[in-house]
Order: sequence, then C-alpha cells, then structure tokens
Amino acid sequence: MNHLNDYSNILFIVAFVIQFLSIVFLFIKNERKALFSSNIVLLIGLIIGFISTLSTALFSSSEVLTKNIFNNWLSLDALSIYFLFIIQLIAIPTTIYNFSYLQHYIEKKRPVKSFIIFYVILLISTQFIVIANQSILFLVSWEVMSIAGYLAMILEKEKEEVQRGSFYYFAASHVLIFFLYIMFFLLHHQTKSWYFSDYNLSFSTGIIAPLIFILSFIGFGIKAGFMPFHFWLPQAHPIAPTVLSAFLSGVIIKMGIYGILRTFLFIKPLPEWCGWLVLILSMVSAIFGVWYALAQHDIKRLLAYHSIENVGIIGIGIGIGLIGSTNNLPAIEVLGFGGALLHTLNHAIFKSLLFIGSGVVYQNLGTRNIELMGGLVHRAKYIALLFLIGSVAISGIPPFNGFISEFIIYMSFFKSANELKNYYPILMLMFVVGLAFVGGLAVACFTKVNSIMFLGSERKEVKHFHTSIFDYISLGIFALLCAVIGFYPQPFIGIVNKVVQSKFVYKTSSALISINWLYITFIFGTIAFLIFILYLIKLKLEQKFGIRISAAWGCGYEFITPRMQYTASSFADELNTIAKPILVYHKEVKVSNNAFPLKSKFESHSKDFVDIKFILPSFNILKNLIKKIEFFSQTDLRYYIAYLLIIITIFSLIAFLWT
Amino acid sequence: MDIKILQGIISLIIILILAPLFAGLVNKQKAILTGRVGAPILQPYYELIKLIKKETINASSSSFISRVSPIINLTSLIIAAAILPVGFWKPLISFNGDIILFAYILGLARFFQILAAMDIGSSFEGMGASREATFALFAEPIFFFTIGSISFLSGYTSIYDIYHSIQLTNISYEVFIVICSISVFMLAVTECSRMPIDDPNTHLELTMIHEVMILDNSGIDLFLYQYSSYIKLFIYAILEISFFYPFSQQSYILGIIIFITGSLALSFTLGVVETITSRYKMKNIPQYLLFATAIGILNLLIYTFTK
Repeated sequence: MNHLNDYSNILFIVAFVIQFLSIVFLFIKNERKALFSSNIVLLIGLIIGFISTLSTALFSSSEVLTKNIFNNWLSLDALSIYFLFIIQLIAIPTTIYNFSYLQHYIEKKRPVKSFIIFYVILLISTQFIVIANQSILFLVSWEVMSIAGYLAMILEKEKEEVQRGSFYYFAASHVLIFFLYIMFFLLHHQTKSWYFSDYNLSFSTGIIAPLIFILSFIGFGIKAGFMPFHFWLPQAHPIAPTVLSAFLSGVIIKMGIYGILRTFLFIKPLPEWCGWLVLILSMVSAIFGVWYALAQHDIKRLLAYHSIENVGIIGIGIGIGLIGSTNNLPAIEVLGFGGALLHTLNHAIFKSLLFIGSGVVYQNLGTRNIELMGGLVHRAKYIALLFLIGSVAISGIPPFNGFISEFIIYMSFFKSANELKNYYPILMLMFVVGLAFVGGLAVACFTKVNSIMFLGSERKEVKHFHTSIFDYISLGIFALLCAVIGFYPQPFIGIVNKVVQSKFVYKTSSALISINWLYITFIFGTIAFLIFILYLIKLKLEQKFGIRISAAWGCGYEFITPRMQYTASSFADELNTIAKPILVYHKEVKVSNNAFPLKSKFESHSKDFVDIKFILPSFNILKNLIKKIEFFSQTDLRYYIAYLLIIITIFSLIAFLWT
Repeated sequence: MDIKILQGIISLIIILILAPLFAGLVNKQKAILTGRVGAPILQPYYELIKLIKKETINASSSSFISRVSPIINLTSLIIAAAILPVGFWKPLISFNGDIILFAYILGLARFFQILAAMDIGSSFEGMGASREATFALFAEPIFFFTIGSISFLSGYTSIYDIYHSIQLTNISYEVFIVICSISVFMLAVTECSRMPIDDPNTHLELTMIHEVMILDNSGIDLFLYQYSSYIKLFIYAILEISFFYPFSQQSYILGIIIFITGSLALSFTLGVVETITSRYKMKNIPQYLLFATAIGILNLLIYTFTK
C-alpha cells in the first residue's frame, strides 16, 4: 500500500511537470506546430494526472485517503481528489477542442501563444488550489488562477466589450480576495497555524464560526456566482475565448463551491440559520439565474446565466447538508452534500459541452446572437445532436446525468421533511416546488436555445459550416459522460458517497447508496429500448403506407421567409413579461401606421438588475468621491514622493506609539 | 414470474388499452350534454386505426427531431403510465422517489414535443410551442404542491407506498382529497389541453396550444401524438382517482370498483366542465394556473393545522 502511494506520488508530480513543460514547446517558431506540440504535451500531462487521481481514488479505502506531500504543503484528501478529478476530467476534452478552436485565431493573427501560456498556468494553478494544504499557498494559487484567467481572457483586447467584460472579472476577483484574506486571518488567529489540517473549530461557541462562514460564502460565493454576487459572470463569460468560457463555467466557478465546502469542514457544524441563508440565496440564484437566461439573445451570456442557476442548485444541496449537519442527521447530510457534489460534476460536464458547442457555431457564423442563427441542424447534424444531449441533461430531464443529481436533491428535501417533522415539511415543500419551477424554466430556456439555433430554417444565410474532428471528439466525450452518469450512476454515486462519508458526516449513513440506482438504470435502459423498438416499427409502417416530404402548412400563404419564424424573443416573451421588473426587460415596438406599412421595428433586451441597480450606481458614487479629492492628483512626480514620505511617517509614528 | 410483476404488467396494459376509451367517453357525454348524438364511444380507436394507415408527411424544413419526437413522446407516456397504480395493484415501476421520475418523464415528453413543433419553422407551431412552455411552467408547481404534500403526510416518496400507507383514521385526509382533487383536476385540464385552457376542437390555429403544435404531422407521427395525448389524459385521471384508493381498505375488489367508478365520474365531470365553460383568453391562463397553485398552498395550511 505504501509502495503504491509513493508510486502515485511520483506520477502526480510528473504530471504537473509535464503540464508545465508544455510551455517550452511554444518556442517553436511555426505557430501551428508550436500550438500542436504544446497542446499534445499538455494533454499527456493532464491524462497522467487524471490516471494518478483515479488510481488514488480507487485504490485507497475511505479511511486512509488523506496523504500529505511536500512536508504537508500539499495534501490529498477525499474532497481534493474529487475536485481534482473534475478539473482534469473537464480539462482533457477542453484541451482537445483547443486544437480546432485556436486555428481560427491563428488565421486572425492573434497572440495565441500567450493565450496558451496563461491557459496552462490557469490549469496548473486550479489544480494547486484543490490540493493546497496551506493558507498562503492556497491564496497564491487562487490569485494566480484569477490573474491567469484574466490574461487569457483578453485575447481580443482591442474590442470594447472584451475590455469591459474582463474588467468586471478582474474587479470581482480582487474584491473577493479581500474577504478571503480576512477569513484566513481569522482562521490563523483562532488556531495559530497556517495549515488546513490544523484548522478545526468544531463546536466553537460564539460568533467566530458563523463569521468565518459568512466571509467564505461572500468571498467564494463571488467566484461561484451566487445571486447577489453574480454580476461579473454574464459580463465575463461571453467575451472570453470559448475554451476559456468552458473552463471558467465548468471548473473555475466550482472552485468557489470547493472553497465553501472546505471552509465548512474547518468549522462544522454551523448554526442552523447559516443553512437557511445558503438555501434561500441558492433558490433565488436558481430561479432568477434561469429566468435571466431566458431573456438573453447572446448564447454565451445565456449559458453564463445558466451557470448561476446550476450553482444555485448546488447551493441548495449544500444548504440542506448544512441543516442536516446542525441537526446531526447524517442521512440528510449525505443526500444534501452528495447531491451538491454530483451536480458539481454534472454541471461541469454539460456546461462545457454547451459552451464548446456554442463555440463551434460561433466560429462558423461569427455571431453569438441566436436571433441570427437557425436551421443549423441541416448543416451539422451531429453537432446539433450533441448540443441537444447537453440541453436535455442541463434541464434535469431523464435519462441524462442532470436528472440524477436533481433527483438526489429532491430526495434530500423529502428526507428532511420526514426526519425533522415540526414545521420543516412546509418549508421543504416550498423548496420542492421551487426546484420544480426551476426545472420548468430550464425546459423553456433550452427548448428555446435548441430550436432557435439549430431548428427551422436559416435566418441568416450560412455559406459553409466547417467542423473538425477535434470538435466531435471533445463534444463526444462530454456527451458520453452525460449519458454514462445518467444511465449508470452507480460508480459515480459510490465516489460521491465515499467523499461525503469520509469528510462530512460523523456517523455513516446509507441514504445515498440505498436509493435503488439499479432500478433507475433499468428504467432508463427500458426507455432507450422502447424508443429503439418503436422507431423500427415506425420505419416499417412508413415503408408500408408511404412517406413523403412536403412544404409546411402556411395557412394558404405562399411566400414564407425564414424571418417569419418564431424568434427567441417571441418564444420567451410571455415568460419574460411576467418577471419584467426584475429582469429589467424592455420591449420596444415601432409600427408605422401608414396605409401602406413601411418598415417596422421591434427590439427587446434585458439588463442585469444587480448590475444596474447596485454595482454601477455604487461605482458612480465612488467616482464622485474621488473627484472631490482630485486635487491630490498632480502631474509632478515629486508630489507623489512627498505623499509617500508623509504616509510612511504617519505609519511609523503609529507603530512606534503602539509598542 | 412474481405475481406483483404480473399485476403491474396487467395494469399497464389496462391503461394503454383503455386510454382512448376514456377520451371517447368524455366526448360522448359532452355531446349528449350539448344536445347532440355525438360520435360513438369507440370513435378514438377508429381514428387511431385510420391514422396508422395514412401516408406520413414530413415538413420540408424539419429534421430528425420531428421524426423521433413522437416516439419519445409515447415512450415517456408509457413509462409514466407504468408508475401509476390501477386498483390496488402494485404498479410495474415502483421505487422510492418515483413521483419525481413521474413529473420529469412527462417533462421529457414535453421537451421533445416543443422541439418538434419548433422544428417545422412555421410561426403557428412556434406559437403553440411558446404557449406550451409557458403554461407547463405554471403547471409544474401544482403537481408538486399536491403530490408533495400527500407524500409528506404519508412519509413515502413512491406513489404506491403513499396510498398503501395512508390510514383513514386521520380526518385531515378527507379534506385533503377534496382540495387535491380540485388542483389535480385543474392540472389535468392544463396538461391535457382540455376546455378552459385549450379547445381541442377549435378550427383556428391562432387560438390553439396543443393542436397547433402537431399541425404539420400526419400518418404514423400523428397516430403516436394522438395516442400519447389519450394516455396522458387517462394518466391524470388515474392520478386523481388514486386519492380515493385508501378507501378500499386494502381490498383488491374494492380497489377495482373505485377505479371504475372513479373513471366514470371523472369523465362525466370533464364532460360537464367542457360543456359549461368556454375557453379562457390566453392572457388569463397564468392566473387560472396560479389559482390552482394557491389551492395547492391551501394543502399546506391544512397540513400545518392537523400536525
């Protein structure tokens, strides 16, 4: 056993070294060759890393899963391994997509090499975050991740929207790190240690544990995109290169989830109101995240809002888990945290699929506006099919993976209603209904996306639709994962269960594995089988009684154009109008009242409530304040030296008097 | 073979065979109530058989979605039907949490039906699809309010276990039945596109929801859609009837009697409702659905007071 551990330790370090070495290959002069070779090396590094993660996860029993490397600076416990698993699993197909995606930028003569450098640094720092066992290392990795993400994001930096969106990302990352500084300072203050393994404030009384939790929820919550702190997500995701948006949405925002869970491990159990706070904010994120998504026309912004929804669903699981841990009911805890962890994996998979799918479309059409798409299914049937699989999965519809995790979260509601009695059933029922409502909105949203993008006829003529083999490989891997977790969830449930049992609960509970997963596999298998059989019968009958293709019924009208199709805004109009004040949904119709109708105009758009009601006004206030002290700002350098001297004097005086 | 599985298969077959009959029954009663002779009760069967023999026509702009959607629709309806109990028999699919699967498997059917409608690329279908997506959204909470509260009352998450375990000593259950019946009835009317929401017999595309979505389908496709919609109506009827199963006191014969009388009574109620109401304006439908949701919340209050 020990021998095996050493072996996988070496493998582990080798993986990091190889990933880092991929940068060296960028020195090759020819840009295409450089990219190809460095991506290959990166891929090899990731695969080795993935194998070592898997072997650690599979070969160690749940009790001795924790192991320390490098003098306790790095440590692998169940939670780290689980997130490492997610990072590497998502990074591999995303990197494969790099091969085809970056060709597009090479043609445009963009600084693709620097993008690769930052991408590699981003991948490595993200992996370091989850294995760091030391606060400073954690914070440094966190900052490196944020900055590398920012630098990779500004690939097309002369575009105004890119500057704007990336600034949102940059500002949000910097605000959140302050919360993390304070939080780790408090943890250090309480335990007098910098190591995560020493942080143990279990059952500490007073305000300190909730305070740390609130700080972590704000700090990590900004990264994860919980509702009042989500404003940067819809700004940053659309402008990032697709590879990066897939990785941002799939993995980076999950680092926020990791942070919240990790902090919870330091300070569990928390008072119950923390659980309710998380639950309520998550429910708000889930409902309005998807509702905002429904109102968007920009495919990547739409997907960004969907990430908020899914983070909300993950948060709901965490909230239930927190309530379970306060009441010391392991069954609820296992279902809540288990659902949250599985949904983290699931969301990473299908969201990357959808982002990459939208990237393929963007490469060919040069627009992210879904109102200009349509009919792409006739151009690229399999891209449409793969995108459809992602859409069904993200809507939480069987037989794909989204259903499995949402099912666990539903079960956690029912379980807590049963075990906690009292007034809980009523509250839980509200959440059940809320989650069902979110599911309904997601169905509306993704039928909209799929049908406007891929179905019907082309709104704007597509000259040629080029897809490469790498697109299909990376999308195919994701789609396959969606199907595997959906049809055969048992091994994944096993992994999640192991994580939760070893880290979160005091007493083991079989609530998660006792759900009859084989039965679900059986039912989903039956569904697939029935569809197949009915399809054969249908083909047979069509053969017998005839089949032909004809024009669609147009009520007798002959001159139908693609512009007469239902659009994304008309599809979602009814629902958007209901939530008008929150979505800040504007509709403008200009119809000429001439006897002979001239050109009419219609436009609708939605703005982010938090952004325009809180963030922008507060920045304006700040700007005005700064204007008042503008006289300090001088053109002469000597003034600044004087300011520095004055400040240093003041600080040294304070320090001197203090001691 | 286990007797339970055999019973499950029999009840599934009963649902699949009797579904068109139920629709025929409703139509006949409606005709009588409006003073017409009406089509024979078996008319839905004749129509289905006629449809199979017709040529299938696909719209020129449609894709593989339109071809698989009718099949997925029927498949999900069959799976949903297998979750519901007939009489007091154990349904074919029964496990902890099957109520969630029930709601979501109907979601699968809806997802593909909306996609298939949008696949045609005609604004008629688009209109229907948009309406379906909107109204389905408000219908979902109704289901979870009613079935969820019954589930919390009994402490089980499987439809069979729920009705198996409820003891009639709890007075609140009778009140529950009344309220749940109303809200499930309203839900059924919405989901199955019946009268106050949608008029299946209308002749104007602009006013339809479900019918306009399948406007461009014919032959075997239309057969699959029609048959699934019959099954859907019958499924919701059974969902409503199952509230009364606890009265059978665990006896098989009483259960079957409840099933038969319940179906007849429900078809009569649907006939009456369809006779005396007219279709709502589209913009009033969300209000109607929110009203049904409010009734669901009433469940909660009863639950609170009886605890």
